[in-house]
Amino acid sequence: MDLYQFKYTFKKRLNFLLFLIIVIFIIVIIKFFYLQIIKFNTYSSLAKNNSVKIIPIAPIRGQILDRNGEILAANKLIYTLELDPKRKPNIDKIKQRLTNIVKITKYDIKKYNKILRESHYSSTIPIKVNLSPVQVANFVSSQYKYPDITLKHKFSRTYPKQKSGAHFVGYINRINKSDIKRLKKLNNYQSYRGLDHIGKTGIEYFYENKLHGTPGYKAIEVDANNNVLRTIETIAPKHGVDIYLNIDYKIQKVAEKAFGNYKGAMVALDPNNGEILAYVSKPSFNPNLFTNGIDENNWRRLNDSIHKPLVNRVVSGVYPPGSTLKPFVALAALENNIRRPPFSIMDKGFYNMPNQSKTFKDWKKGGHGEVDMIKAIAVSCDTFFYGLGVELGIPKLNVVLQRFGFGSKTNIDLPNEKKGLVASAKWKKNKYNKKWYQGETAITAIGQGYTQTTPIQLALATSKLINPNTEIIPHLQKKNNLPNTELSSNIKRLVSLNDNLDLIKKGMSLVTKEGGTAAFIGRTTEYNISAKTGTAQVFGLKKGEVYDEENLRDELKDHALIIAFAPSENPKIVIAIVVENGGHGGSTAGPIAKKVFDAYLAENN
Amino acid sequence: MEMKKYLKIFENIDRILIALIVFLLIIGLITISSASQQNISLLVGQLINISLGIIFLVFLSNINPKQFIFYAPHIYILSLILLISVSFFGFESHGAKRWLNLFIFNLQPSEVIKITIPLMLAWLYHRFQNTINYKTHAMAFFILAIPCSIIFKQPDLGTSILIFISGLIIIFLSGLSLKFIFASIFSFSISIPLLWSTLHLYQQNRILSLFDPGRDPFGTGYHSIQSMIAIGSGGLLGKGWSYGSQTQLNFLPETTTDFIFSVYGEEFGFVGVIGILIIYFMIFYRCINIAINMQSTFSRLITATLAFTLFSSSIVNIAMVSGLLPIVGAPLPFISYGGTSMVVSLSMIGIIMSLNSNKSLIAN
Repeated sequence: MDLYQFKYTFKKRLNFLLFLIIVIFIIVIIKFFYLQIIKFNTYSSLAKNNSVKIIPIAPIRGQILDRNGEILAANKLIYTLELDPKRKPNIDKIKQRLTNIVKITKYDIKKYNKILRESHYSSTIPIKVNLSPVQVANFVSSQYKYPDITLKHKFSRTYPKQKSGAHFVGYINRINKSDIKRLKKLNNYQSYRGLDHIGKTGIEYFYENKLHGTPGYKAIEVDANNNVLRTIETIAPKHGVDIYLNIDYKIQKVAEKAFGNYKGAMVALDPNNGEILAYVSKPSFNPNLFTNGIDENNWRRLNDSIHKPLVNRVVSGVYPPGSTLKPFVALAALENNIRRPPFSIMDKGFYNMPNQSKTFKDWKKGGHGEVDMIKAIAVSCDTFFYGLGVELGIPKLNVVLQRFGFGSKTNIDLPNEKKGLVASAKWKKNKYNKKWYQGETAITAIGQGYTQTTPIQLALATSKLINPNTEIIPHLQKKNNLPNTELSSNIKRLVSLNDNLDLIKKGMSLVTKEGGTAAFIGRTTEYNISAKTGTAQVFGLKKGEVYDEENLRDELKDHALIIAFAPSENPKIVIAIVVENGGHGGSTAGPIAKKVFDAYLAENN
Repeated sequence: MEMKKYLKIFENIDRILIALIVFLLIIGLITISSASQQNISLLVGQLINISLGIIFLVFLSNINPKQFIFYAPHIYILSLILLISVSFFGFESHGAKRWLNLFIFNLQPSEVIKITIPLMLAWLYHRFQNTINYKTHAMAFFILAIPCSIIFKQPDLGTSILIFISGLIIIFLSGLSLKFIFASIFSFSISIPLLWSTLHLYQQNRILSLFDPGRDPFGTGYHSIQSMIAIGSGGLLGKGWSYGSQTQLNFLPETTTDFIFSVYGEEFGFVGVIGILIIYFMIFYRCINIAINMQSTFSRLITATLAFTLFSSSIVNIAMVSGLLPIVGAPLPFISYGGTSMVVSLSMIGIIMSLNSNKSLIAN
């Protein structure tokens, strides 16, 4: 472009911009004309009474339902009597004045004061919640006596299934200071105007954005006595969205019943798409206690219990996998082409470390005789795996474990998921500044080392044995289009040979057959179950911990574990169970798995 | 004789321009005094700001334009360093980290950038004026994008958009091809959904509440309503100085800075508003006239762009308080209380005056 042309373009464009700016000026002048001349009377009266109030309209929180529409979390219309803290109400007098209508208890007053301390937006605070229809009628008929008390109706969260499924449904609680901090950081605080509650755990927390909706508001003009003169503007709230889960509540009930009074965790999922069908964490708690602010006694009872009912064991419980790790250890050996059948050992009930005097015992005195890999899985032969582990080495083992998701989050749609641990020499060096011993490799190969997993990881890893070429993310929320993506590159492939997987699955199918560690659950079933049982030793006390016999005696019993899927030929359901201090996997965890399989396959065949 | 020597430093001052600006400064002082309920220390503070600004104006009007060209890249780099140091040493106010504490005063580098970017871009186009092609434009875009993205992250969306627009104007005036302009508008609008999906939730919220004040009726939406009530209740002639009820009863936020025009509108009415708008337009028109008569690429671009920057800052503020635009937080040049903004605005005028008086020095 030459200079003359530049000057020409410049002038032309400058004139264009000048024209644009004149247009903008005219628009601005029109706006001011509109505000100051046309609407003068309106704004003038608004300014005189200086009287615009903005009142939030709360949205209704979405419900949580199971896959068949069974309601797990709902909203109940309740009536409350509320006080305006800005008027500095005298609670004792109000209590007396209300005696004919409703009794205000000490507990109500305590709760009122608690909310007063923590309330985030200046609004009225309930002094009595959940009024009966008679109480509402009595109050309304003599309302003129109580200008300082407001009757309000609102939706209160209820969990009709109570303790059942509490860990994945979660609960809501009143918004507190740390919630406010978090919301402000997300620049989302304004969408909680008029709302008192927020999801704290489980689905209630994870899908908070969808469930809670967006509040609307009403701009009203009031006079000096706070009487509403007219509404200037109303924006309707956007109600929250209902969340449907993959949970089948019928199966959930069966699973919870089968679990009985044991502590522990169970998760069942569809191995073809990661849909979570049942989800148990025991002991449980009643989420309804939290809805309107949990009282101190209940909180202490739940939070201080040595049984930790508030811990969501499926995702936050970290357990040694015990022998349930063996199928994956075996697979690692096959991937590295060692110990492939017909290779076998002669098991006399113990394993001698090469070049060392150290001896590791099998769980069965006298041993299992001649054992190849398939039999080693079926009878859970420790001796076979000690040697396998030492021959394979930790680095090669860990590569395969990590491919199956051990040591990393499954990205399930729940908060507070733990990563577990795939222990290595490097990890031990960092953590304890100690060297890794070969003996530790041996016990890691039978799942008793430092390596730890969550129940959801075990379930996911088992699903990957069944569907190695599908990207599976365990999820509770029901989705319309299933993300059944094929794994794209070879790097992501879990196994090099499908034959390797077939060998492992063959071993697992024999676990429930005669001679296997869970033979008796196979005897009474019409379909085939594949499984791997496990018994995890609960490790001794940590340094500095005081031995408290009364509380810890049960705690030192072994954990019983099982991973299982059925039917073996065409798996529709995968299960992972940890029964804390339940003894042997086959006898405690096995029957629970079988009951869930029976119920699910009966329904889905 | 001595006297005349001193008066020489004022000989580059454009009389029309300075008269208009002094008029605005006086209106600003009167309004601040009402808005602050005759807070003397605030008034004294603003007088100091103005004096400092006038010193800058006079000083810059005596600078040889060649110096601007020579130092443009240096001060651009310097302003970038200031801007980056804000993210390390700056302090927060009103939810954005945009201030730098320099002990004697607080500096807002994002205001300083409003001068240094036009200088840098004008330098670029001047330097390559015989070979302006897509590479030059791409370079200009790059020079512009760095500070804008830093300011966007402070986060100060309003200022970053204002600066971006002033930069685009310089690129536009330098002859970026219309085909390209339309093509990029088109491709930008079709890629919006994709860009949107890459933003974090909180960023999306921020942008949404910008375009839809109804999302935040208790924050900026409330201010917007109160501001419109103030302006609307002013009527034709206003309620009179210090009689604005909305202002005096504290219904308005930030009355001495961002919302000063609501105060003015309430107290001086539609007639007063038209008066100020006409003065702003005259300042702008005078600058454009100067730009057209300039004889070098550099001078033309600088003058036009600084004029547009001043204009868009003013109009965005006025449109914001009258409810035409979302509340973004931008001061009104020459009127709002504030040191950096005052000094920067007056410096822009000083630069224009220097270029105007030395047209032939760097003529093409």
